[in-house]
Amino acid sequence: MKHLRWTIGLLAIFALVAVSCGGNDDSGGSAPAAAPTEAPDDSMDESGGTADDMDDSMGDDSMDDSMGDDMDDSMGDDSMDDSMGDDMGDDSMDDEMDDSMDDEMDESDAEPVATEEPEVDPCEAVDLEATDIGITSDTITVLVMADVGSPLAPGLFQGSIDGVKAWANQVNSEGGLACRQIEVLEHDSAINPTETTNGFLVACEEAFALVGTTALFALDTTDLQSCADAQGNEIGVPDFAYITTEPPHQCSVVTFATSRPNSECPYAGTGDRAVQSQVGHVQYLLENVSSELNGVYLIPSDLPSTIATSMPQVRAFQEIGVVIDGEPGISGFTTQSEYGAFIQIMRDNTSNFAYSGSDDQSMIKWRSEAEAQGLDADSVIWMCQLACYTPSFLEAGDVIENTYIWIWFLPFDEADTNQELADFMEAIDDPFPPAWAAGSWADGVLFEQVVNEIVAESGPNALTRQAVLDGARNLTSFDVNGWWSPADYSTTENIMPCFMLMQVQNNEFVRVHPAERGELDCNPDNVVGLTRDWGAEFGG
Amino acid sequence: MIFGVRHSVAVAAALGTLAAVIIAVLTWKGAPVTSETFLVTTYIGLFLGALWAMYATGLVVVYTTTGVFNFAQGAIGVFAAFLYWELHVNRDWHSILALFVVVGLFAPALGVVLDILIMRRLRTASLVVQLMVTVAIMVLLLSVVGDIWEADTPRRVPYLFGINNGIDLGPSQLPWHRLIVFVVAIAIAVSMRFLLRRTRIGTAMRAVVDNRELAALNGARPNVVSSTSWALGSMMGALGGILIAPELGLDPATLNNVVIIAFAAAAFGALRNLPLAVVGAMLIGLLRAHTGAWLDFGPDFRFAHLSIAPLLLLFVVIALPQARLEVGRLAHHLRRHERYTKWWEGLLGCGVVILLAAAFSGGWLDFGGWDPGAWGSRELNSANEAMALALIGLSLVPLIGWAGQINFAPLAFAGFGAFVYLKLAGDTGNGYWILMVGLLCAPLGAIVALPAARLRGLYLALMTMAFAQAMSLIFFPHPWVMPIIGTGRQFPHIDLFGITFDDRRGFFMLMVSVFAIFVYALVLLRRSRYGRRWMAINDSQAAAATLGVPVVWTKVVVYAVSASMAGIAGVFWATVSGNVDSVQGFDLLLGFNIVLLVAAAGVSIPMAGIFLIFIPLFKGFGLRLEDAGNVDFLVTLLDIMTTYGPGLMVLGMVFNPRGAIFEMGRGFSPILPWRSDARAEIAAENAQKREPEIGELGLERPFTPEEVIAIDRRLEILDDVVPKEGYGTSRS
Repeated sequence: MKHLRWTIGLLAIFALVAVSCGGNDDSGGSAPAAAPTEAPDDSMDESGGTADDMDDSMGDDSMDDSMGDDMDDSMGDDSMDDSMGDDMGDDSMDDEMDDSMDDEMDESDAEPVATEEPEVDPCEAVDLEATDIGITSDTITVLVMADVGSPLAPGLFQGSIDGVKAWANQVNSEGGLACRQIEVLEHDSAINPTETTNGFLVACEEAFALVGTTALFALDTTDLQSCADAQGNEIGVPDFAYITTEPPHQCSVVTFATSRPNSECPYAGTGDRAVQSQVGHVQYLLENVSSELNGVYLIPSDLPSTIATSMPQVRAFQEIGVVIDGEPGISGFTTQSEYGAFIQIMRDNTSNFAYSGSDDQSMIKWRSEAEAQGLDADSVIWMCQLACYTPSFLEAGDVIENTYIWIWFLPFDEADTNQELADFMEAIDDPFPPAWAAGSWADGVLFEQVVNEIVAESGPNALTRQAVLDGARNLTSFDVNGWWSPADYSTTENIMPCFMLMQVQNNEFVRVHPAERGELDCNPDNVVGLTRDWGAEFGG
Repeated sequence: MIFGVRHSVAVAAALGTLAAVIIAVLTWKGAPVTSETFLVTTYIGLFLGALWAMYATGLVVVYTTTGVFNFAQGAIGVFAAFLYWELHVNRDWHSILALFVVVGLFAPALGVVLDILIMRRLRTASLVVQLMVTVAIMVLLLSVVGDIWEADTPRRVPYLFGINNGIDLGPSQLPWHRLIVFVVAIAIAVSMRFLLRRTRIGTAMRAVVDNRELAALNGARPNVVSSTSWALGSMMGALGGILIAPELGLDPATLNNVVIIAFAAAAFGALRNLPLAVVGAMLIGLLRAHTGAWLDFGPDFRFAHLSIAPLLLLFVVIALPQARLEVGRLAHHLRRHERYTKWWEGLLGCGVVILLAAAFSGGWLDFGGWDPGAWGSRELNSANEAMALALIGLSLVPLIGWAGQINFAPLAFAGFGAFVYLKLAGDTGNGYWILMVGLLCAPLGAIVALPAARLRGLYLALMTMAFAQAMSLIFFPHPWVMPIIGTGRQFPHIDLFGITFDDRRGFFMLMVSVFAIFVYALVLLRRSRYGRRWMAINDSQAAAATLGVPVVWTKVVVYAVSASMAGIAGVFWATVSGNVDSVQGFDLLLGFNIVLLVAAAGVSIPMAGIFLIFIPLFKGFGLRLEDAGNVDFLVTLLDIMTTYGPGLMVLGMVFNPRGAIFEMGRGFSPILPWRSDARAEIAAENAQKREPEIGELGLERPFTPEEVIAIDRRLEILDDVVPKEGYGTSRS
């Protein structure tokens, strides 16, 4: 009897399963992952030719030089910290590039391509059509996805949503994009892989493109890359992201991050990987502040991705002559007093250099502990990256005085030197917005530029996802109209070469290098490329 | 005994020391050890220990005086730290005034409110309910903090006594703040010890937890005493939170996680011994500081130094003496209220679940005008996630619900299952390996069961929590375990019976089917003699052993079964995600949430797992409403329900300890034609409600016959009422 019950039960269940599984799936995410990985190779093969075309159209030789970007993104006490970068290949390096970008170049870059040939209003010449998913005759729908609604970290990347909305309002107020108004959908990825995938699915079904993506756990981009367009071709959804922390997102063939991954793709997940790093700021210190630097680099070690993006920079510093006395890992759970161990390393080695790859709170803890331990802070060059360019860093007061910070775009208080920055500051209505608001705005401008090029070339009814993907993949130089360091979107490996250095002086961020307002240092020597197994490089 | 120490403890201490020495030798960093560095590292360790000692003292005081182990202690500290920041930093109050308001007024008030509204009602509740409710309070407090103080702005709490001046230690210095905190922590522990041991109120506090009624007869006022205990515990949590916040920064999750260290310290003092708890906290502080200074664990074990506390907790709990038999609570368990589901009922129920799931995912039915056909990929994606969680939750039913073995580590088992599958199946997606996963996870469950066999209740909960935390800090972060790949899926779509389940609807139905198979198997198991053994060891291990039930072996088997189910569920969980961040994917807090929700649904009911599916349904419904527009208040309501709902539902266990599904089943079953027993039970309950109050317990007048019957019914010694003929009309 017992066996009969089990048998009946199992048979009945399998029968029901068989009946139930007969339906069709409405998801677009079932395509094999291998297919999209082929796309970048094609696009990269083509990029050489199109880069020349782009250079001509943009009218400035220096624009096709190597570009870089290294960002540090911190997520509160989790010490989420990523450095990402991108640098164009040697083929496109221009040896004659100036050390800094000049204002004229900025102005020429600031002109969108579409505005260069406005004699015939394309909007009046054609009947606008719904050319793809997310496009109607009146609107272009974009989706901004950001980690906002986690119960433990609510509002984390709200700035990204604000940035995209501000950009869309700005574009709409000036007549729209491709003769249509931009509508912004929001999706909260909630620091959750499933919600992030859901965001990709929503974008696939309802939006023309993702703009301003700021999601930390984009672990599975299959749905993003295999989404079908209006014709049923599984080409993916264009994803103009701000950050790409995980390799699947970094190597997504439809993702174009303004904070460049600066890492080789495709990547198996382990083993050697070619990565480029920005070292110009440390080079400046070696040349102008202290010819010998030895010190400690703090590695944010909560996630493999944060280790993998910090270690290349440590090794790059060593390549240019910095002696690393210690590269300890830190966690969001590291207490301030535990930074005492790092102070001890500095004391034992008479270190004069201290670099935090983590966030502003980490640097505050480090400097506070140094003070508590009686370390002579003036004998040390303290340095941090974009993550320290925040109002909350300044709120720490005297303890963070003289800390150097480097960034890859013009600072917010130089709006008078760049129209795009001025527009952003006016639209965002915040005297010191979060970096991700700036990044998402930059994503919007990138999307806008690609669309404008399509419209200028083929008209507003030529706007499809495929056209946008092609346009973005062939984009070898984009600098947010002179606000940011230029970047090459035809490859993931190259980093942006430009930077500017600031120092906290009298509780303010004060420009140190280049001395001239509105300028970035774009020396090609700012970039060091290395190939290692970065996970294994970390000592712990 | 060796020098007055039990053999087991001495052996465990010796083995632990040996292991520590070996680890130290293998991971020695090579940094020079000088007297200065040793001194500085030591005082940092003692200072950290003092901070954790404050939390631990609060835990011990509350546990000693109320019998409730407060998982919300850390969350109280988080709330207090944010409130202090609000008053002192944001509103510029003087630090002493802000400290007084938060620690002297707010914290005790919070403690008293918690006691009056919730804790008093938990007095006779089972340990599962007690623990779950405090976990729910933790979740709710953290949610409130998140809602009031949004996390997009980093905040810092200044040191209370200044950090830049102190005692000169050569090249370094000992800041006054740290010295004062150390002294304060010791002073609090000493004063609490004095309070509990040497004062009348302290004696009353300890007496009330041992025997409330007897203490009351001796003049103690139990309610006042328990409120005082909660107020004191809350004050220590608040002070701990405010003093730790400058060290860690104001982040709710980070601050709250510190409490696990305090758990380890409290366990070191067997949860009741304050001096030992303080020693435990100091030991952890010293170990952490010196580990950080001298040892290098490399990239493979990068969280090793953070795992000191859970490892110590694991070690201490295992080394503790065998738990007492809780004979005093037997009366609550003697009569089981659950009815055994018939085999055909289980089959019918599983069939209904599969059909409903198919209808829902396929859009075959119109659910109240809301077109489920509009279900898109995102809803199916969320449903798949929830279904995988439901499978993991289901693994808790035999373990917690039936055998009474508390387990906070379901995700550790699930993660191990995913790991085994990844290594076995590689990138083939071969679904047949899932069966092997089930077999290989069983030994892990058995290994965990061995120490669990001699533990019970709270110690068991702490042990599984420590196990889960140790797994998430040591095992899962190892790069070999689940490396994130750059392209494609780390966990390919499952290929089974010649079908590749690469579409979400099909995969959903596969999981629903596995769920149904598990549920049906559990239904049959529960009816079997073996299943009843599991429930017997839950009711009374002593009685079960007397009846010939091999208690240890039975526990090992139930752990193995649960681990096996969780391991299989872990494969589905990982496959839903495609790529799993093994650090985040098998996080302790997520495991907490699963246990919490299953407990709220009714952990003894196999169908409780399905409860988890309501979360994405709520969220999906909210998204649809949002799309529809003009229903802002409903969207807000659903948002609130999603954020606070799980915690509030668990709080509901105070009133319905058996869970929501159980109560729903009780309400639903009388309408089934063959459930005359359910109708009779309802009739009997209704009749009981009409009974007169028992009154003054016969002290002023003799009981009436009706009152005698009523008392018999209350005492559950009147099993043989024939309800269908009406209450009291026929008794045999």
